[in-house]
Amino acid sequence: MEIPTLAVESRKSAGSRAAARLRLKGQLPAIIYGHGEAPAPITLNYREVERTLKHGAHIVNLSLGGNMQPCQFKDAQYDHLGMNIVHVDLMRIDLTQRVTLNVPIDFRGTPKGVADGGVFRHDLTDLEIECLVAAIPESIRVDVSGMALNQILHVKEIALPEGVTHVLDGDKIVAAVRLPQAVSEIPVVPAEGGPAEPEVIAKGKAEVEGEGEADKK
Amino acid sequence: MSMMPARVKYRKMHRGKIRGVATRGNKVSYGDFGLQVLTEGWITARQIEAGRMAASHYLQRQGRVFIRIFPQKSVSAKPLETRMGKGKGEIDHWVAVVKSGTVIFEIGDVEEKVARDALTRVAHKMPMRCRFVTRRHSL
Repeated sequence: MEIPTLAVESRKSAGSRAAARLRLKGQLPAIIYGHGEAPAPITLNYREVERTLKHGAHIVNLSLGGNMQPCQFKDAQYDHLGMNIVHVDLMRIDLTQRVTLNVPIDFRGTPKGVADGGVFRHDLTDLEIECLVAAIPESIRVDVSGMALNQILHVKEIALPEGVTHVLDGDKIVAAVRLPQAVSEIPVVPAEGGPAEPEVIAKGKAEVEGEGEADKK
Repeated sequence: MSMMPARVKYRKMHRGKIRGVATRGNKVSYGDFGLQVLTEGWITARQIEAGRMAASHYLQRQGRVFIRIFPQKSVSAKPLETRMGKGKGEIDHWVAVVKSGTVIFEIGDVEEKVARDALTRVAHKMPMRCRFVTRRHSL
C-alpha cells in the first residue's frame, strides 16, 4: 500500500482560541510525538487529513521543512456530532519497525447456521494486530460461511496474513451463531401488583414534617 | 409498561436546564449503527418504549437493539381543573435528559439497510431531530 504524503506547517500558537481560528481557515491542529524527540505542535490541511482517514490509512509521510517523517495516526478527535475532525495525534515511526494498530474485520459470507434458525452476532468489529509498517493490511477478511449453529469464532482461529500477529487474548470471542434470545430484556414495571413509584431512600419529608408539628405542640 | 428508576433519593425534581453538548455517550459503542439526536430535550419513558417496540417489531428478532438512555428524571403535574398552589403536583411521568449528539439507540448484527429502516421508524417516535450514524473504526 502506498503511503500518502501530507504537507505540514509548524504551529507556534497554542490554546483553544488559536486552534478554532486555524479550523476556520481550513486547517487542522495536530501534534507529533515519539522516538525520544520533543512533541511538536503542527498544522495540517483539513481536507487532506479527512480524505486520508476516510481511505483507512494508518501511516502517513509528513513533509516538514524538506524532511520526510513517517508517522502513525494514534488518535483523531471529532466534534460532539462526530462529523468534523477537531485534532489528530501522530506518532513518529521507523518504516522498519513493528507497530500495533486496530484493523477492521471484514466478515464475508452468510453462516450456514443462519439457515438453521441461528443469528450471526459479532462481538468485535476491529482486531488489534502487530505488524511491520510496510505490511499493514487494509482489513482482516474472515470467511464465516462455514459457521454452524452454536459455533463460536475465537481470535486465535482467525487466519492472519504473513508477518501479522494478533495482540488480543486468543480465547476472546470474535463472533458466534446462536439461537435468537427472548425479545425483551428491559426491566419493565408490571401493570398491576408491582410498585407504581420507585422506592425513596432519603429521609421522608412527611416524617420531617411530622417531627416539626410534634415540636410545635 | 415503561422504564423508571428502581430507587431514588428524592421523588420530585426541579426542571433544570440543559446546557452544552454531549461529550459522553456520543459514539456508537455497542452495535454497528446508531440513532443520534441533533438537539437537546427530554425523551419520555413512553417514547423510549415506543422506539424500542418499533425497532424490535421491524427487526423480527434479528440483530440486537441497545437503548443507550434511561429516564432518570421525574416530571410532576397538577390534576386538571385544580387551582394553583397547595404544593407541587404528583409525579406524572419519567424522562431522559439528552443533549445534542447523544446516541440514543443502537442496532447491531444486521445489514446497514435494515438498520437504517429500523432506526428511521424509531426516529419517527422521538420528539427531536435525529440522524443515522455508523460505528467509526478505531485507529
